[in-house]
Amino acid sequence: MLKRIWTIFIRDLTVNMREFMTLFMMVIPLLLAVGINFLSPGINDTSVNLALIENENPEQAAYFDDFAHIELFSDKQRVEDRVRSRDDVIGILPKDNGYFIMTQGNEPESVLEYAKLLNVLYESDVQLEDARSEIIEFGRTVPPLKKMLVNILLLLISMLAGMLIALNILEEKVDRTVSAINVTPTSRSAFILGKSLTGMAIALFSSIACLLITGFYNINLGQAALVVFSTTILSLLIGFIQGLNSDDVMEAAGSVKLLFLPMAGSIAGYEFVKGNWQIFFYWSPFYWAYKANDMILSKSGSWPQLILFIGIILVICGAVYALLAPRIVKGLQ
Amino acid sequence: MKLLSSFKKELILASRGFYFYVELVFALVLLAVLLFAIPQNFSSTSTEYLFFNLPQEGKGIFINNILKDDLDTKSEMVEVEASGKTFNAELIVTDESEIYIVDSEEAVRTLADSEKVIGAVIELDDNNQLHYKYYLQGYESTRLKNLIFILQNESTDVLEERFENQDVRPLSTDYEPLTDRENTIPPLIAFSGSLMGMFIMASYIFLDKKEGVIEAYAVTASSVWRYLMSKIFVVLLTSVVSGLIIIMPVMGFRINYGLLLLLLLTTGFFASSLGLLIASFYDNLVKAFGVIYLLVFLLMVPSIAYFIPGWDPVWIKIIPSYPLLQGFKEIILPNGNIAYPLITSAGFLAVGIILFTITNTRFKKTLSV
Repeated sequence: MLKRIWTIFIRDLTVNMREFMTLFMMVIPLLLAVGINFLSPGINDTSVNLALIENENPEQAAYFDDFAHIELFSDKQRVEDRVRSRDDVIGILPKDNGYFIMTQGNEPESVLEYAKLLNVLYESDVQLEDARSEIIEFGRTVPPLKKMLVNILLLLISMLAGMLIALNILEEKVDRTVSAINVTPTSRSAFILGKSLTGMAIALFSSIACLLITGFYNINLGQAALVVFSTTILSLLIGFIQGLNSDDVMEAAGSVKLLFLPMAGSIAGYEFVKGNWQIFFYWSPFYWAYKANDMILSKSGSWPQLILFIGIILVICGAVYALLAPRIVKGLQ
Repeated sequence: MKLLSSFKKELILASRGFYFYVELVFALVLLAVLLFAIPQNFSSTSTEYLFFNLPQEGKGIFINNILKDDLDTKSEMVEVEASGKTFNAELIVTDESEIYIVDSEEAVRTLADSEKVIGAVIELDDNNQLHYKYYLQGYESTRLKNLIFILQNESTDVLEERFENQDVRPLSTDYEPLTDRENTIPPLIAFSGSLMGMFIMASYIFLDKKEGVIEAYAVTASSVWRYLMSKIFVVLLTSVVSGLIIIMPVMGFRINYGLLLLLLLTTGFFASSLGLLIASFYDNLVKAFGVIYLLVFLLMVPSIAYFIPGWDPVWIKIIPSYPLLQGFKEIILPNGNIAYPLITSAGFLAVGIILFTITNTRFKKTLSV
């Protein structure tokens, strides 16, 4: 049986590799990883955007540049136009005895307070050279937002693998290959499992590659591979259920959309819901996968914790399988 | 008439399918999330760990100053755990932060490290001057570090007084901010309603391609564009219904529904035409999946900028979902700018028409791919 599954997997992989699509599916997560690298420094450097008049006070502009993003404009009207634009830019303009702060009126309070504080510090002649403070760093270089985006990407890769498996099975169903397998020595389960291995292999390859591209080469890649593997089993299960129970591509597409809900909800729950309220997300394997990935990316977890999280994911998957086994068997017929 | 007839047929077919109801269920779930899971306003309290390595009197002055901002002007003794150790702390909760005053530098270092927050030790230097030691994670930007570096150069009382006396001149004062719950609506409608049309439209076409419907149109009195347009109408209808399900219970009658419908329809038309165009290049959904996946990701990037006020680079503004999000935001904002959603709608309609024309030509030429 294992040999047949392996043969189907190798055949499927060879066939898929000839297609542009499979390579495309492997390349897209890598492009997204490059995109995350491109986005995160800019987002992390976000403080406040200030608009000033060019050459009005070069010393002031240089001072603010140490603490905020500065844009210079030729006159007051242009500063006002910039402040009126859709993003949050605060103008600092001269008046008779000092400077005033020009706002559009709709900026978040934190943005306005930051700008006010900078103007106070400048007016008080507070200089970096006179600092009485010392900064000690823990040496973490990956900002939380980048970690979050990479974690989301890892979950999406697993989801994508599941969707691919679902769509592959659906195609085989439409082509009636699943029924044709009945007259061969290979069982239907072995055929389906063999076909699913390609999706899992792609998920593992893409996840590890994305982690390396985004600079997470110091984490425990073995732990990460385990989480990806368990999440892909989840996606595989969902893919099976979708693929086998959908009669056409529209049904599968609808299911894909529904699938995003527990995933997005689990991520939002983990990131934004505090303390004991997180208990409401314990049912979701995506929650545990996200939590496990977060632990690995932060390099803060231990093996027993990780095994616990993976165990929970697998138990939930097992429970879902036990619940839906009759439908899966029926779908294979 | 033929278009109307095609639309009716498509609608009947869609109402018999699973997808039509998925859309409605999805919208209801999103509504439930909005009403019950997302608070009116997120709590944005930060956590700080402080250690005052000062004589008792100096420590008392600092703590009393912080206590003035405490919600009940009382502190509470608590135990905090980190890295397998337990530390005693005095907890002061203000509007903006939870401040834990601990009794050793080791506690500050351990807690700041394990909880990934800022920790600070305030002590006296050799000249009996206050010296501030901050524990940061390392990923903070240089600009933020600079600010932290100089924040204590001047007396807090002096800074506070000057801060309160800053001359702030807003260009407009009739602005009312959205609550966090209301602010979440534009991304939900944009992605669930308008942009998913791209994916759904492509799926519809691949289904019909498989069944040879498009070739069949070559021998009927109806034209391909009517067939495509009737499909788009079905997607637009589901998009409008699901959009209204999400927005009406939250916003009530406080917004301009004419504008909302206009933007939903034009952006839905744009997304559907884009989905059609993608579908015209591939013969099944699996093959088109990569392009759709990449596009969905690209279109999601402006939603990051939407939630981060200080990050709004110029290149993000040319991604179509940027004006889409801002357009929906203007519609639900009290005193929002009416011109922006109108111009955005006109832009999406124009681009949608161009995409539709190209797609129609491609389908007419090939009749299948």
